[in-house]
Amino acid sequence: MTAVLEASRRQTAAAGARNVRRQRLRVAVRHAILIGWTIVILFPIYWMIATSFKEKHEWVAWPPHWLPHDFTIKNYTQIFVFDVAEKGVAREATEQPFNVWGPLADSLLICIVSALVALLLGTFLAYTISRFNVGGKHFRHAILMIRMVPPIVIAIPLLMYYAIMIPLAAETVLGTRLILFDTRVGVSLIYIATTLPFVIWMMLTFIEEVPYTLEHAARMMGAGRIYTLRRVVLPLVASGMVVTFLFVFILNWAEFLLALTLTHPDVVTLPVLLNKFQSASEGRLFGPQAAIGTIITIPVVILGILIQKHLIKGFSFGTIRK
Amino acid sequence: MRPPWRRLGAWLAQERVFRLIPFVAVETIFVLVIIIPFLLTVYISFLKWRANRPFEQAYLSGFENYQQVLTDPGFWAALGRTFYFAGAAVALELVIGFVLAMLVARTVRGRGLYITILLVPMMIVPVVVGYNFTMIYIDSGPLNQLLAPFLEAFGIDPRVRWLSDPIAAQWAVILADVWQWTSLTFLIFLSGFSALPKQLINAARVMGATAWQIFWRVELPLLRPAIVIAVVIRSMEALKIFDPVVLLTAGGPGTSTQSIAFYLWEQVWVFNKFSFGAAASIVLLVIFATLIFFGIYLLVRQSATVARRIGP
Repeated sequence: MTAVLEASRRQTAAAGARNVRRQRLRVAVRHAILIGWTIVILFPIYWMIATSFKEKHEWVAWPPHWLPHDFTIKNYTQIFVFDVAEKGVAREATEQPFNVWGPLADSLLICIVSALVALLLGTFLAYTISRFNVGGKHFRHAILMIRMVPPIVIAIPLLMYYAIMIPLAAETVLGTRLILFDTRVGVSLIYIATTLPFVIWMMLTFIEEVPYTLEHAARMMGAGRIYTLRRVVLPLVASGMVVTFLFVFILNWAEFLLALTLTHPDVVTLPVLLNKFQSASEGRLFGPQAAIGTIITIPVVILGILIQKHLIKGFSFGTIRK
Repeated sequence: MRPPWRRLGAWLAQERVFRLIPFVAVETIFVLVIIIPFLLTVYISFLKWRANRPFEQAYLSGFENYQQVLTDPGFWAALGRTFYFAGAAVALELVIGFVLAMLVARTVRGRGLYITILLVPMMIVPVVVGYNFTMIYIDSGPLNQLLAPFLEAFGIDPRVRWLSDPIAAQWAVILADVWQWTSLTFLIFLSGFSALPKQLINAARVMGATAWQIFWRVELPLLRPAIVIAVVIRSMEALKIFDPVVLLTAGGPGTSTQSIAFYLWEQVWVFNKFSFGAAASIVLLVIFATLIFFGIYLLVRQSATVARRIGP
């Protein structure tokens, strides 16, 4: 073995300067490719942010302005407009005020509440799956299946369910009006159902790292079940829960199809709002759209970068083993 | 006699009851939000009903809706197009993601920064991605400016309307998807590369294997699980494509970029063909369930072989 190593070392030394040069070239090419792709990634984001600071005549100017010539924050003041009184005044199509406050509140409320509920239920279930093997050997895969079903297939049944069946059933059984269509509760419910598989999968990887002996010891010493769960297991998976919460929050924040199909016109989430100004009849409002896009993007990207290290772990799906 | 809530608490704290609480709660949500609507859809798919008439007037019509779906050229064209989009996008994402992961895995300087930036697209809302690419593809966008010197040399007006050409629009959708989801394949491959056993590769090198041999004979077989996972996950997600289509092209020009999700959405929400949509979503679910089952089977088998190879 040492002889072989010695031989290879001598070989390397002989190759000498030529190898060093080749090595340097290789590193340079590697960085060139990576920097190229970095530019590809950052450019569309940069373009959106630049557009959000452009005046109306610059949005589609030819040749395009790589930097806003007339720097303006009008696009932002326009979407964060407070003066409801002025709403009635007829304006030019591109000057219409559209308030981002309502959709922002809707989005935040729906995403936070549904992520919290999914997190609590999912963590609890992941715990019992991990400790008691609830649901059998293939339960975790069965759960994953739900996530793989295309949302459009869920959306059509849900529309009819929310809009027709539940009001009908509530009317006949309870005698009250109960509507889930176009309500925050309705949207939150479906978000909980669609993100639960992710919560369960991510929490399983975190919970399975907690040694069972620890709980066992606590139980032996007379701790109750809930007490063990709260004081022994939860502190150990707390960081995992934060990561999972943020991840699920990002998923809900980005969701478009279900929000588009199950709400109209009261509840508006941010992606739906962005889509509203796509219609040709109003004239494309590129600037305000860019401002909305920037507002949707920036917080989520910051959150994502914060949990990035954990995402790498969560997405390994068992390819990394300790 | 203990008060009833204490007795309830004691009953719930028993192991056989306690462990089923979350299971029952989660299953209840699934039944309420997914299973019941699904059964309702099966029922509606046998009705003759459009939303412009009240539900009470609908009547059973047997398999008429299914017959309509299965003989509808638009449905099959949209389905085929979706597979075409998904195939092209996933192939590109796999190749680019693999190369990037390989390069980053061998980079020392700036590694953390590269990883951070390369993962950013994953976190961007798909609707925003669609919007961003609209801005790039429009006739006075930066893409045309970059291409202008080449186009003007051939006497073509550089202000090309990419999204008005069927094939260019299809590729616009595919490229937007590639831009966003290469980050996911990159992530999966990166964790694959960082899990490669170093001793094995060093051993191969000591025994005189060339870099090329090490790549094909040692690294690639070890990365197979990561490749299977990337293919399965990305294919499943790519077949759902909807958001960038709506934002970029709204299915146009003509029907050239209608994915199956967009097609069904249009049939139900624009043309109010509810029972048709219900039947179509059942057909689609059957097709997808087959694929999903196959995909999960691949994933389970893969994790089983990984476990066997590396040991418990």
